[in-house]
Amino acid sequence: MNATDGLRPVSGNVLRVGRVLTVAFAVLAVGAGYWQVIRAPEFDRAPDNPAVIAAGRSVARGIIRDRDGTVLVTNARDVNGDPYRKYADRSLSTVLGYVSRQYGTAGLERAYSAELTGAVSTDPLGGLFGGSGASTVRPDDLSLALSLPLQRAAVKALGASRGAVVMLDPATGEILALASTPTFDASAIANPATAAGAWGQVSTDPATPLLDRATLGQYVPGSVFKIVTSIAALATGAIGPATSYPQQPGAERDGLLVSGYRVRDGHHPFTGSGTAAPLRFDEAIEVSCNIYFALTGLAVGGERLAESAASLGFGAPLPFDLPTAGSQVTNGGGSFGGGFSDDVELANAAYGQAQTLVTPLQMALVAGAVANGGVLMKPHLVTGISGPDGTRTVAPEAWRRVISNEGAQTIAAAMERAVEGRWGRLFTPGAAVPGIPTAGKSGTAELEGTLQPHSWFIGFAPVDHPRVAIAVLVEGSGSGGQRASPIAGSLLRLFFATVGR
Amino acid sequence: MTAPAGPVPLARPTARARLRPAPRPRELALLGIVAVALLAGSASLGATERALAGQPAVLAPVHPFQLGIYLAALLAAHLAQVVAGRRTDQVLLPAVGLLGGIGLLLMERLPQDLVGASIAGRSLGLSDVHLVWLLVAIGAATAVAVAARSDAWLRRYKYTWAAFGIALLLATFVLGREVDGALLTISVGPLSGQPSELLKVILVIFLAGYLSEFRPILATESTRLGPIRVPPVPYLLPMLAMWAVAFLIVVFQRDLGAAFLFFAVFLALLYIATGRAAYVVLGVALGILGALLAYRLFGHVRARVDIWLDPFADPLGAGYQVVQSLYAFARGGVFGTGLGAGLPLVDGRLPVPAIHTDFPLAALGEELGLAGVLAILGCYLVIVERGLRIAASAADDFRALLAAGLALVVGVQAFIIAGGNLRIIPLTGITLPFISYGGSSLLANGIVVGLLLALSDRGVGPPPAPRTPGGLRFRLGSRRGSAAPVGPATPARPATPAASAR
Repeated sequence: MNATDGLRPVSGNVLRVGRVLTVAFAVLAVGAGYWQVIRAPEFDRAPDNPAVIAAGRSVARGIIRDRDGTVLVTNARDVNGDPYRKYADRSLSTVLGYVSRQYGTAGLERAYSAELTGAVSTDPLGGLFGGSGASTVRPDDLSLALSLPLQRAAVKALGASRGAVVMLDPATGEILALASTPTFDASAIANPATAAGAWGQVSTDPATPLLDRATLGQYVPGSVFKIVTSIAALATGAIGPATSYPQQPGAERDGLLVSGYRVRDGHHPFTGSGTAAPLRFDEAIEVSCNIYFALTGLAVGGERLAESAASLGFGAPLPFDLPTAGSQVTNGGGSFGGGFSDDVELANAAYGQAQTLVTPLQMALVAGAVANGGVLMKPHLVTGISGPDGTRTVAPEAWRRVISNEGAQTIAAAMERAVEGRWGRLFTPGAAVPGIPTAGKSGTAELEGTLQPHSWFIGFAPVDHPRVAIAVLVEGSGSGGQRASPIAGSLLRLFFATVGR
Repeated sequence: MTAPAGPVPLARPTARARLRPAPRPRELALLGIVAVALLAGSASLGATERALAGQPAVLAPVHPFQLGIYLAALLAAHLAQVVAGRRTDQVLLPAVGLLGGIGLLLMERLPQDLVGASIAGRSLGLSDVHLVWLLVAIGAATAVAVAARSDAWLRRYKYTWAAFGIALLLATFVLGREVDGALLTISVGPLSGQPSELLKVILVIFLAGYLSEFRPILATESTRLGPIRVPPVPYLLPMLAMWAVAFLIVVFQRDLGAAFLFFAVFLALLYIATGRAAYVVLGVALGILGALLAYRLFGHVRARVDIWLDPFADPLGAGYQVVQSLYAFARGGVFGTGLGAGLPLVDGRLPVPAIHTDFPLAALGEELGLAGVLAILGCYLVIVERGLRIAASAADDFRALLAAGLALVVGVQAFIIAGGNLRIIPLTGITLPFISYGGSSLLANGIVVGLLLALSDRGVGPPPAPRTPGGLRFRLGSRRGSAAPVGPATPARPATPAASAR
């Protein structure tokens, strides 16, 4: 019938097109399976999933308790009988967050919305055929590693300053305190009667109380970053405990010439600069010698420094119960190894200046890794989720080994000198805990222009069997010794007097 | 009916004596299954809605009247074909009927004020209006299936159809109304519609006519371009023109979905006509070039692609629809929440905007689960398979290309919107055939089904002889039972212009 002069009939081509379309539909089927089966458990507990939001409106949320069983949040009822949250203490505001019908959710209330509202365990058909339409949702309760007395003390110690304190158990990664100041009144935001006013004030406050500085604040670290450089240098074998640099004493006086740029250090009169013997590793930590760590950074190289930092969690948000910001050793993109633009940037980054930016939580993890013999534990706040089906315990989880136990001991010993040593005590006054050997490192993060530096301290105690690691940051408050070290000391003393007794 | 006076025999005259009813037992049985499935769905929806309203959860249809009218319309379509006695495909109507019914249940379940219309003082809600359009679509499908006994009115006037299509396209520019940033809708008085839906049918008719005529040249001729042989350059012009049309639609109408649909169907038909992979390679290369160009030049294209790559970058802003669609799929799981039990309202609003037009698959994925999604995708594959089967056994190239094109229009369109909902390809606003709310879409797809049914009639007369250049252009059709085709211009083995050119 076809007048196509020997052309093959089109039916074979039709068949091939049909096969292609069948494959395309198979891809659709696989896609549907991927979202509906594989990704479903994750999506079903997303805080912005309407099912989670809708469940949260009508349900009295689960209770949250601290490590001693103290109730941190309870439910109240408004005039319509709808539940809203009342928080036990202002110091918890950035950790627990808030639940507001008008302004959404934040903090653990947001991250664990699905559990706290019971949306996760909801059977969608349950109750629908029961005749009453009543909800069978049973919200879960949360148990935290947090200690309310420590949290309160941390916020109180920071006082009117903006800053953050992170305390954790280095062996388990349990977060004992996660303070950020200023705090805000989460109960006022949660209460429908006061929400509008409270929100208007808090959300426009120039001090940004809604920002959780402990997990989301990115700060220049200054000398506390030398512990990261130390981990990189000792782990890669770039230096040993006895390494010293012959040019270091002279450079103390004249500056260290790197590619024509002079890296200068603060004067250390007590090390007898210029004439004294070059500093060893532990001495360099004790007196916080910038030249020593600039040289060490150059010896490690940009690539290995960046890799080592990445093993500590730099470069990406940390795995945690709350949203976290990533920390960085450099802005990246540079042609030099590890993303540094040149060796001048690397030399400055090695002692915590240049483009290094860290979160207090990240620095607490660095201290924790050294304290835990080189094994970094995943940080976590929630230790148990209990509901009608029983309790699910969150077990400690090792993240990775960042340095050998021997290397960690070398750094720990040096950090002990930085707190307890002859010269170290001058840098970190007030950090020591009487009767308990304490390790630490202060930092003074110099900022551009005439801004006051950030005051830092990271450390842990006791040195031989660490039970607590700490990071303290106080924004724009001077040297590490001025503000952060005494705060850390007071909180460590409180820890051993109460929680760690 | 009377014979048309003019040369455009839209519906062939059917003598009363020709009506020899032929039973269609397979279609009837399949429609029975469809009716049971839809009744079960409606009963489940009814029980859920009653439970949510605090009443006893009785398993009874939610809107028995609406479903009854719909099922009666399907039965009427079946009976009309029985009476007409045509030996057409018996699977298409039930497959389409199931999809349409699922769409109706979905519209019954969504908030009725998504669409408001008022006819003769009675206010109509979403499902009322949807049902009216379903009836129009079934009516159109049946009318075409029963009455279209010749394809001469399609094959003879391909350039007229093309001109009509272009006029429609131009009309959108002149009379068009911008909806959601895309210039898609024409409004004339109280009536409004999306011409691109009708345009796709017209495009397939034109392409089938054009490609069947020039098939010999396109399939065999080559131009030497240095050491490589490429398809004949002059005949590539339609390809470039098509590419340009698709690109212009993206530029001026911002209708990415229609552009993708037109281009994909065009390439598939070109391949079917010629069997040359070189055309496909060239076409895909042109398509990629166009896509890259569009991505660079146009913000709306870039936005769609960026959302597709990472909807979670801005889950409350740009990525909201896609993220909510994925959440809806996830909430459904394997077996779904049940009709009516999904889509939790937040502040009285549906989580997914445009759910009745652009995201019905996400809604059904939630309430019917993965099982329901697979069943729906299976229905589309059945429709495509029937269409391609009709194409493969067609009497000549025009009918084969027409049937294949019509089947592909449905299949590719379903793929584009389902893929967009499932984040397999960037989301484009196009309807899910037979399910989405939308009059133009339902009507156009109804005509597609009608044409496929008519083309599947094994009893219809042989196709007319290929056109003789300058030959007599009138009365080239034939009808079933005729001893010989009517008209003088029926040489036993005529020469096409292409053949004589060689």
